[in-house]
Amino acid sequence: MFDEALRKPRGKGGRAPDPMRVGGWVPMREYPGDEEVDFAIVGTGAGGGTLACKLAEAGFSVVAFDAGAWWRPLEEFASDETHQGKLYWTDERLCDGANPLKLGANNSGRAIGGSTVHFAMVSLRMRPERLNSRSKLGYGADWPLDWREMWNYYTEVERALAIAGPVNYPWGPPRPRYPYRAHEINAAGLVLARSCEAMGIDWSETPLATVSAPRGRSHPCVYRGFCVTGCSTNAKQSVLITWIPRAVKAGAEIRDLAMVGRIETNAGRATGVHYYREGQWRFQRARNVVVAGYAIETPRLLLNSANAQFPDGLANRSGLVGKYLMAQTNQAAWGVMEDEIRWYKGPPSLAITEHWNYTDTGKDFFGGYAYMSQGPLPQAWASTLSGNRGLWGEALMREMEKYNHQAGLKIVGEVLPQEANRVTLADEKDQYGLPIARVTYSLCDNDQALVKHALDFMSKSLDAIGATDIWTEDDDTCHLAGTARMGDDPTTSVVNADCRSWDIPNLWICDGSVFPTVGAVNPSLTIQAIACRTGDRIKELASQGTL
Amino acid sequence: MPERYPGYDVLAKRDGLSWNEPTRSAIAARLAIADEPRFFDIEAWQTLKAVCDRMVPQPAGRAQVPIAAMVDRKLADDARDGFRPASLPPQREAWRRGLAALDATARAQHEARFHTLAAADQDRLLKAMQQGKLDGPDWNDLPAATFFGARLASDILSAYYSHPLAWSEMGFGGPASPRGYVRMGANRRDPWEAAEAKPGSEAEARRENDRVR
Amino acid sequence: MATDREILNGALGALAIGAAGALLCGRTKPTRRKRQPPPRSAMERARREAERPPQAPTVKAARRLNRAAGLIALSTLLDSAVEHYRGSFHNKAMYTPLVVSALTLYVSYHGTGDRRPAVHRFRDFTYLVSAATGFVGTAFHIFNIRKRPGGFSWQNLFYGSPLGAPASIALAGLLGFYSERLRDNELKRSPKVFGLRAGRALAALAGIGMVATSAEAALLHFRGAYHDPFMYAPVVVPPIAAALLGDTALSHPRPPRRLTRWWLRLTALVGFAGAGFHIFGVSRNMGGWRNWRQNVLNGPPIPAPPSFTGLALAGLAALGLLDDHPDS
Repeated sequence: MFDEALRKPRGKGGRAPDPMRVGGWVPMREYPGDEEVDFAIVGTGAGGGTLACKLAEAGFSVVAFDAGAWWRPLEEFASDETHQGKLYWTDERLCDGANPLKLGANNSGRAIGGSTVHFAMVSLRMRPERLNSRSKLGYGADWPLDWREMWNYYTEVERALAIAGPVNYPWGPPRPRYPYRAHEINAAGLVLARSCEAMGIDWSETPLATVSAPRGRSHPCVYRGFCVTGCSTNAKQSVLITWIPRAVKAGAEIRDLAMVGRIETNAGRATGVHYYREGQWRFQRARNVVVAGYAIETPRLLLNSANAQFPDGLANRSGLVGKYLMAQTNQAAWGVMEDEIRWYKGPPSLAITEHWNYTDTGKDFFGGYAYMSQGPLPQAWASTLSGNRGLWGEALMREMEKYNHQAGLKIVGEVLPQEANRVTLADEKDQYGLPIARVTYSLCDNDQALVKHALDFMSKSLDAIGATDIWTEDDDTCHLAGTARMGDDPTTSVVNADCRSWDIPNLWICDGSVFPTVGAVNPSLTIQAIACRTGDRIKELASQGTL
Repeated sequence: MPERYPGYDVLAKRDGLSWNEPTRSAIAARLAIADEPRFFDIEAWQTLKAVCDRMVPQPAGRAQVPIAAMVDRKLADDARDGFRPASLPPQREAWRRGLAALDATARAQHEARFHTLAAADQDRLLKAMQQGKLDGPDWNDLPAATFFGARLASDILSAYYSHPLAWSEMGFGGPASPRGYVRMGANRRDPWEAAEAKPGSEAEARRENDRVR
Repeated sequence: MATDREILNGALGALAIGAAGALLCGRTKPTRRKRQPPPRSAMERARREAERPPQAPTVKAARRLNRAAGLIALSTLLDSAVEHYRGSFHNKAMYTPLVVSALTLYVSYHGTGDRRPAVHRFRDFTYLVSAATGFVGTAFHIFNIRKRPGGFSWQNLFYGSPLGAPASIALAGLLGFYSERLRDNELKRSPKVFGLRAGRALAALAGIGMVATSAEAALLHFRGAYHDPFMYAPVVVPPIAAALLGDTALSHPRPPRRLTRWWLRLTALVGFAGAGFHIFGVSRNMGGWRNWRQNVLNGPPIPAPPSFTGLALAGLAALGLLDDHPDS
């Protein structure tokens, strides 16, 4: 029920679904498989969807593929954690290492629009120094990008998504005004605000990709609180309702329910992609291939595309494809307030402090963290309680009853890039007959020290405003990055600053996997900024004849 | 334990503005799940039912959430999470082997099937499983603690807390679209939210909760 | 926490007090008019019309001011009812603006029909209470904002207790109070209020009110990111009207009034059109009017814009006064 989009592709027959109207359609250009298009893009999330738009608007012929469905949120999204599992990447992946990751709902999407369809909309700029953490702060790796250039691309993305943010942002270099005003902070956010004031540090409204006033056909946010299971009102400015409609309008073709399984190469160049759609494998010829499947599917596809000329997988001369996986730490301090908080109302993270991202003193670790107010829905909260405190039975039910008085502070913490944290291929196969990914992950001492610092600080701040029953969630991770890092040196990176692979000149990688370091803020805005930059660079290269 | 949200029923909003059509349809399907196995054989089913009763001891005197059947349907549909600890087999196999091993342990230690044991004995076995103290020949190479955390507890609690009865019990607002919420501050409640009974105000909370639509 | 039933009882109670006050007001007319039988013929009606005392320009202006005050009071009554309902009337004092603006609305209605050149004590008192309520309410709201995390931050100016809202009831009270002072003037003398030239002072008062109300619209439309170009109207049109009124107040001997009059009419129109736009705004939010329990509260405030109409009427009253008493 309400899952027709999962069964039959919608982007075909010269039309595409219009996510802004019930039952709506818009015309869409189509390309035959044997026509060599300028760009075949694998993935339509923050990286691929954004780049598809930029390239189509620059006049290139573009076909973008996504394994997921093309939804119309207004008529197909339920207010239900279980039902909305249809937005997540639920094909099997194996997780091991000392800190096995949680994937699926946590950080992996499968839909046109990728995981931005169910992300928490937190849209932050990375602290400039973190792009040069090796030379400026003494850890990690330098990005081959200039932060001032990135600052301009951040602005472009913030406008494209009409980010609702504070009038004055307390941290970092000046930024232009956010296009929309910040939302009203809910009680859970005010807990963060009061606790920060008690500790004497700055706090702010969180810049969010959900509109606080009407925008086009988007309704303003109704504070229903189911953001991370998909927004049914289209207040959320996901890739699905922002870049994708623009891309289609500019002539891009988007193919939904189209799983790319292999990139074909010939004489050292990519020639197109093999994809599975409507019961059979098909081939699309392309002059350039862009991989934008995020930190697990991107290396998986590159490794699964190994052939005689590239026996270790594509773009892998450095041997680094799949390596330097980073998963931001996501630990929390929770407490019970005397007040009724009812944290299920409104976007989950309306208030934030980046104090420990921008302060370098008083730390015994490299990197930084931001932390935000929280509002987990019942299943997520039960899973937090049982997963971390081992609660079940009466004990769990008693805790669950305090739900409406609960408040919490949760970090997005930077982790160090480690070569041993990696994505490899397992022996097990998926329904397409492709080897599934094995994700190996362990935190290092520095990561643990950061977490300890954060948990101590957040516990103290909850205590300072009279929260009771304070406890810390010590083991959780969230956003992924790495596995195809960018750099200046072909021996230590997979792509250059333009997201172009060193080994195969017409193979590009444009998503969170190019991050050399992960930073201390949610990555979606940075991924989109990189995609905008890549789009502009490709346009430049084409005009110079060096594409 | 007195009810914290007396008389509050999320389902009273079912036909109102807080529920859209996809939500009604999804919850209707969930409420229609019959308390019988589709995936498990009868022995595993008996064990699962007993485990669910201990993992979530539901209050007597109200309808019971058919947790075991909900877990069973997840497996019948093979609706996966998108990842699993590498030490566990895929969910169907993990569940079959885990329940069989638990039952075998019960027989070995108590000479009785798990579901016939006293609640205290069942709890002891579950606790031992959670602490990883059950690894043994019955468990083969299935890591009991990982199975407990990543599979058993996770699937059972997700099933229970996807049910409107559980939402009502904890005062959760429930589905919310197209109507969301207006009053965002502390101690502010929209008229379509659960009213909490404070000492001395139980009757008033019940009256308010009766009016939730 | 107030329950819905309590809130309803409270609101009804508040309106009942308002109604009772209104009745009281109806009974305390300074001189009882003798009830006359209805006119039997057109001739008689004409005769009676001729017998009525001539209406002094000050009274004409005062009645116009009553109308203006009434409109602002109505806007405040509805707006505070909606906003304080949203705030669950968690403090009993939140019923006050309902009572006071209901009373103000009634005495304004009463004044609009009253042609006598004399102060009406209860009316006068009500207007004074209304003005005081506005000032106390503003203080309350300032206090509320200060105690929220962030203090006088944009967040709290946007979403905390609005500073401009209680000011508008003060404005209704001031205009009404002013109208009573106008009635206090003797015929054929250049009217003065507190020793100031009445027409010019009124123009200034209306202008100041307009600037303040426009500032509030600017703040709240900034919150709405001016997503619709029409949202600039209440930020552009009333301040120009205020400037023209300022010019009127300061120019001597004979201020330009034609443009001012037309611009005030335009401002009045903006006020009504604003309510229309806000009605549309509610309808385009998620769930539309079907979801009114959310959208009337979270959407644009429908009763707010007519305040501009009220102020424009006050400005027009000032111009009328100046027409009749150029030196006022």
